[in-house]
Amino acid sequence: MRIRPIARGDIDELQTLAQQTGVGFTSLPDNRDFLASKIENAARAFEERTPVDHRLYFFVLEDETNGELAGCCAIESQVGREIPFYNYRLGTLAHSSVQLDLHRTIDTLFLSSDHTGDAEVCSLYLRPEYRRDRNGVLLSKARWLFMAQFRDQFPAKVLAEMRGVFDKNGISPFWECLGSHFFPMDFNEADRLTGLGQKSFIGELMPKFPIYTTFLTEAARACIGEVHEHTRPALEMLKKEGLRWEGYVDIFDGGPTVEAYIDDVRAVRNSRLCKVEVAKKGTESERPTWLVATTQMLDFRAAWVGRGPDESDVITLTEEEARRLNVVAGDSLRVLET
Amino acid sequence: MLVVRPARPADLPALERLASSATPRLTNLPAHRDRLEERIARSQRAFSHDIDFPGEENYTFVIEDRERDEVVGTATIRALAGAHEAYYTYRQETLIHASQQLNVRREVQTLALSHEVSDASLLCALSLHPRYKDTSAESLLRRSRLMFIAQYPERFSQILAVAFPGYLDNDGESPFWNSVGRHFFVRGYQEMNHVAGVRSKSFIAEVMPQFPLYLPLLTPQARAAIGREHPAHERALEEMLAEGFLRSRHVDIFDAGPVVKGERDRLATFRNAAWHPVRIRPQHTLPDAEPAMIANQKLGDFRCVVARYALSPTGQLMLSPEHAEVLGVEEGRAVLAAPLALPDAIDALDEGEL
Repeated sequence: MRIRPIARGDIDELQTLAQQTGVGFTSLPDNRDFLASKIENAARAFEERTPVDHRLYFFVLEDETNGELAGCCAIESQVGREIPFYNYRLGTLAHSSVQLDLHRTIDTLFLSSDHTGDAEVCSLYLRPEYRRDRNGVLLSKARWLFMAQFRDQFPAKVLAEMRGVFDKNGISPFWECLGSHFFPMDFNEADRLTGLGQKSFIGELMPKFPIYTTFLTEAARACIGEVHEHTRPALEMLKKEGLRWEGYVDIFDGGPTVEAYIDDVRAVRNSRLCKVEVAKKGTESERPTWLVATTQMLDFRAAWVGRGPDESDVITLTEEEARRLNVVAGDSLRVLET
Repeated sequence: MLVVRPARPADLPALERLASSATPRLTNLPAHRDRLEERIARSQRAFSHDIDFPGEENYTFVIEDRERDEVVGTATIRALAGAHEAYYTYRQETLIHASQQLNVRREVQTLALSHEVSDASLLCALSLHPRYKDTSAESLLRRSRLMFIAQYPERFSQILAVAFPGYLDNDGESPFWNSVGRHFFVRGYQEMNHVAGVRSKSFIAEVMPQFPLYLPLLTPQARAAIGREHPAHERALEEMLAEGFLRSRHVDIFDAGPVVKGERDRLATFRNAAWHPVRIRPQHTLPDAEPAMIANQKLGDFRCVVARYALSPTGQLMLSPEHAEVLGVEEGRAVLAAPLALPDAIDALDEGEL
């Protein structure tokens, strides 16, 4: 299994993937034209033909034994540059009066575009039959190695939006209490439009003044900053890298936006460069504990290897591993123990 | 005979009674002896000083039943609704949220804190003994203030405003307060109203949420109460609308009661008021005529009564000796008269900005 940039020839496979993700994964709608343009954008990004602040680096996880796509993930180089990026900032206002012997703080939701210009890790999907052998970790973390390797192509901060709470019937209490009053559509439609990148309606229809959360229902308040139970593992993984919730939430479902300075992300800080050695005789693969990635943008590859570098920072690959990563002896690899 | 006159220190017990019996309790008429005493003193200063433009004065009147020798009602004019402090209201506003992308247009209602009514003169703090409810005494008490303003226009603003008590349910609870104010003060409406009356409403307003409130987020009960008067004040509101006041976009910040506003020159009492020299004739010789409010032009000794609008062919107003005595006028002196009857109320929202 390996991570590589999506290629123009991946359209059929990507559409198969899009059909599997279903509703709720709005950035991959089952729409061939949309997917084709997404691939084209990504290809141009990796070819460095688009400006650094407009790039969508879209990766796929490939089963190189049969050419199947097992999953995908992406990095948006800077959000909010072409289309506005909105979320709510959870703030606190004090209501206090000495004469009234009153001191009370009220939580407020302020519409914000504070994250404009930050990078975003997004669009992670792994087909159920491949949810094994740490493939999910590979998809999630390969992006940190990419960002570490091409650090100067990215801004100071990175964020990730986590899916919020939905009840048994797939209803978001937060949306029902807030968004539904302002948007003439249901949650899925609003979410779908956002996935397509058609976000201008948010700024046009969303309340511009802060919302006093005390006016929301208890069920809606309970959603603020909380994730869907299926999203909890993904959130935990990001937290281990050092991403934190700083009070920003999704305007539709109230799910948290977690964020960090890229230089502080554990994987970015701890990854380092090694020289490649290829062993003539294949060594037995051990448990995948080292994540490795190549150092060229167009030929970016990432995969697990069963062993780390030696004291002189040389990592010995099997021929199969070298083939998978498309490297030869003497090349550099970025490695991360994980 | 009922007569309206400026309040005096001796009226304090009566004012206390009227404050306690007001339905509902009024923020601007707290049943608090010290506050009422101060109010009478301030009012006396206002009535006795030369004043060229409106400021922090308040003019407090009482209505006296001469037969009973009893003060049975009170009402006040605040020269400026917000003189030292701002006068806070919620202003009902409509924001248009339109999306070209979706080709939709939505109107979103908000309530925004406003100080706009601060510049108006405020007719407030009216309480009348229930015995006189829906009689000409009630109209006299309410509208004799307009007769006063008509005589001393320099002391008041061009715009007059009246804030009517808002809707309360059968338990005396304000659905609006319960959905809005309570979140911020954690106190009941009645308690807060009392505190506001004894201290001041604006210092409480300063703790209110400063950003506009989106109506869709309030309870249906609270939304229904916006701009709705207390059931006991329906007739009063109707009378002021007939007078020419217009519903404004402003409502009270506690109970969302309606604030009506009127430009002086458009109010019936101002338009119809006329000066007449007095001719004194025995009661039984006076011709039948429509009732009118008759006021003298003595600032500190202001008096206003209801009498028949009986004019001589030469335009003199014929008064009985009793009325002339109460008004303190002799034959030949001028009085201001305005018919008590009003045209039918036109219940309209003021579409323009007054």
